[in-house]
Amino acid sequence: MVKYALFLGCQIPMRIPSVEIASRRVFERIGLETVDLKGYSCCPEPIISRLLDKTGQLAVSARNLALAEELGLDIMTLCNGCYETLLEANETLKHESEEMLQINKILENYGKKYRGLIKVKHVVEVLYEDIGVKKIRECVIKPLKIRVAMHYGCHLYRDLSGDIMRKPEMMKKLTSLTGVEIVDYGLERLCCGYPSMQVDEEFSLTHRLLPKIEKMIEAGAEAVVLTCPACTIQFETGQVLLKERGIQYDLPCINIVELLALSFGFSSRDLHLELHRGGILRLIKKVEGN
Amino acid sequence: MKEKEIIEYMQRELGSDVLDVSTPRERRVFINIRSEALRRAVEALKRKYSALRFITISTVDGGLNFEFLHHFHVDGVVVTLRSVKPKEENVLESITDIVPAANFIEREIADLFGVKVMNHPKMRNLILTEDWAEDKRPLRKPLKGILPPQARRAAESLISMGCVAPVSRFIERKREAAGLPKTPPFAFTDKEDMKEMHGIIKETSLSEKVGFDWEKKRLRYR
Repeated sequence: MVKYALFLGCQIPMRIPSVEIASRRVFERIGLETVDLKGYSCCPEPIISRLLDKTGQLAVSARNLALAEELGLDIMTLCNGCYETLLEANETLKHESEEMLQINKILENYGKKYRGLIKVKHVVEVLYEDIGVKKIRECVIKPLKIRVAMHYGCHLYRDLSGDIMRKPEMMKKLTSLTGVEIVDYGLERLCCGYPSMQVDEEFSLTHRLLPKIEKMIEAGAEAVVLTCPACTIQFETGQVLLKERGIQYDLPCINIVELLALSFGFSSRDLHLELHRGGILRLIKKVEGN
Repeated sequence: MKEKEIIEYMQRELGSDVLDVSTPRERRVFINIRSEALRRAVEALKRKYSALRFITISTVDGGLNFEFLHHFHVDGVVVTLRSVKPKEENVLESITDIVPAANFIEREIADLFGVKVMNHPKMRNLILTEDWAEDKRPLRKPLKGILPPQARRAAESLISMGCVAPVSRFIERKREAAGLPKTPPFAFTDKEDMKEMHGIIKETSLSEKVGFDWEKKRLRYR
């Protein structure tokens, strides 16, 4: 049986727990065993910590990695941001001995040690590589008849192999297994604007989010499929903020794991999809036909 | 070498109150000291070097802290004592009783930055008019750190709780309804884990750079 330490991060369990609920349902169905990381913390959030204090960021990441090492398990993240932060910290610490020494000097004061023994994987990789398309296809009992646009999220393009499309391609193939029709809209690579919300809301909304939504709608998308909670928050709250500017869009967001769960036959009620903002109820009606 | 002699002397006199030293070029010495040791440092210089000449005091408002740079001329070497004070304290110890030439610049600092200069022998406005508003000092910036407003809540939460998105009662209820625990097994759910997490952060300069107040468990600015 495939087994991972599950790194939930902050945003999914605290803001969009429907993704956690769907993940646990899906993992159980496909035979993916996960162990929660007791005592984990934020990965940490890269925009603040990485820019301000690299040692602080590495130390907090190393503590999280050490927790998984204690379990003897590789880490699986559900969040793109956590994925990149932990992956980069793991690589830095594994290959830069001075950094590792410095960080372990801090951790050892608290009975922790980073050894560089584990891998960090994104849920998309685990589903595609460890579980496989065949197994997932077998679990799809309710193909979804909707048109969706893909938003992979910037951090999903980060890859140790240098092949930036490796995980986005996996995500696209996994999405297509659910029966949906994927529409191309030409701006898949454009950032949703979440990071720039920290400094320039107008730019973030009108130069990043809005062009994407316009193109998605033009292409006939009824929903956007994502895997990053930060992007999800940007799409959902961004559309509310655009409304305040007189720009009316209501494109529902759905995480790829939630989409898989729906196609596996779990109900939107069981998954608590109502926790999403925006036009989710319209999407549920279309999918469930009531 | 004179620079080396000055540094070694000050380290002997002040011990661990000397935080670090640098000599960026010939005849230039910076000595970073704890702010509490400022007067002792000036006294030590005066005791040792009879030809000590006071140059001036530079003040830098860094947003969260005041940086005070006391410049002296010591036998051909310019020595700067650098000390930092949180802006919330808003004080500078006067050295006028040790070095009378500091009198006017300390008054100028009080005028322009609104800093209270403690134990100054004759404190009154030097540049500004006597009726100048206390809260409108020409060179004083608002108490403000490096983070833009949108990032402050997340940073505060990251350091205080180890989580950037604190759970709400609404989400707790929804999680329980779905058969999940109220919160995932975050460090903040266990006192020992949280202690460990805070200890690790304190050993880095993250909280200092962000401007986090550990006693109040929040940012020094909002």
